[in-house]
Amino acid sequence: MSSTTRNALLKLALPLIKDHGFTRSALSLAVMYSPSGKHTAPLNDTAVDALFGEGDEARRTLMNAWLDDARVSLRKSYSQDSDTATTARNPSLGNVLKTRLSKNEGVLEHLPEAFALLATPPTLSSLIFPLTLDPRPAISHSMSVAAEACKLSCDTSVGATWYTRRATIGAIYTAAELHQLYSPTTAHDFLDRLLEESQTLGMAVDETFIYAKYIVDAWKGIITSRGITP
Amino acid sequence: MSSRSGPQPSAAYLDPSKARDPSTTQTPEDLTEAQRGELHRALRVDQAGEVAANYIYKGQLAVFQTDPKYGPLIQEMWDQEKKHLIVMNKMQLQHHVRPTILWEVAQVAGYGLGFVTALMGKEAAMACTEAVETVIGEHYQDQLKALEDFPDHPSLPLLREVIKEFRDDELEHLDTAVDHNSQRAPAHALLSTVIGGGCKIAIELCKRF
Repeated sequence: MSSTTRNALLKLALPLIKDHGFTRSALSLAVMYSPSGKHTAPLNDTAVDALFGEGDEARRTLMNAWLDDARVSLRKSYSQDSDTATTARNPSLGNVLKTRLSKNEGVLEHLPEAFALLATPPTLSSLIFPLTLDPRPAISHSMSVAAEACKLSCDTSVGATWYTRRATIGAIYTAAELHQLYSPTTAHDFLDRLLEESQTLGMAVDETFIYAKYIVDAWKGIITSRGITP
Repeated sequence: MSSRSGPQPSAAYLDPSKARDPSTTQTPEDLTEAQRGELHRALRVDQAGEVAANYIYKGQLAVFQTDPKYGPLIQEMWDQEKKHLIVMNKMQLQHHVRPTILWEVAQVAGYGLGFVTALMGKEAAMACTEAVETVIGEHYQDQLKALEDFPDHPSLPLLREVIKEFRDDELEHLDTAVDHNSQRAPAHALLSTVIGGGCKIAIELCKRF
């Protein structure tokens, strides 16, 4: 089967996650919801292995497809051309991150296991290295959300600030998302508090740099007045 | 300094009335992965180059600020680079390009190069400008060729015109440097080779990082 078929089945599997979780069952049952109506039986294990990967790899494929779909959905929420856009055209960063957190609400109970699955590297799932975790998928997820949030909130950072801003937003979102898994009703307030604290911290760092610049300029003045530079 | 008449293409990025124009706010969505990579690398290097150029002139002016001839000359070239950087920053945001992670290195290296060559003398400072502007001018020309086959989108003709404008500005700086005795600098050939080689290495690094 082509990648088009694989992508179509992944799309059909996404609404099934709410009831079935990020499981091979969801992938297997997806074909029964095909618009053609030709398939009346789920895919067998061999077909799921061939299309989406063997064992837990298929579940990771479904999880990554869901994360991609959430990102696209977030973008559509603020698209100027979208008929479904109901939110402000120039949203604040807080609003964008809250919208992204709301995409988790339908599958919240399944997310802890799904994130744990992503953190387990497939090649080391044997008994030899049972305790090794791979942080890269988690970092990739938080950076992807941060990048999308910066784009939608029209962030104007350049230079090194571009990186520090995204790293900060990624860390804030990760903390808020983890909070949401255990206390969904207070997640938005927690996010607001983190954003407020990071703003205060940012101002403190900026003031430190301004003070350091005064010191450097003072030394430049001393050096110039001593005639060291022409 | 510029002998070209009429509004410059880069004015579109500095004109508040064009703040919502698709040519200055949108980026093409239908590029192939290779084309998108090419566009992003080009803008990342261009932006880094303008950062470095700004700091080179800043370093040179730190030495020549009281010189009645070279002070105003370097200030004028620096003012043009400041405008280039403002436009490059807007283009980076427009096309969602990752800036180089070597941003701070470009600042320090640029300032150091400008300051040291200025301490070597006026001709050496001009030789530095000549070498850097030669590499940048060639680089912009290569980018124009690479952007020729991109699909239609309102932002791309403006991008090409802005690159042409900046290429011409840099070549004017090169001519200015030559007119102000850059080629009389001590060890001119060695200085030009080392600085030119350093610029080419910096371009390759900024493409990747």
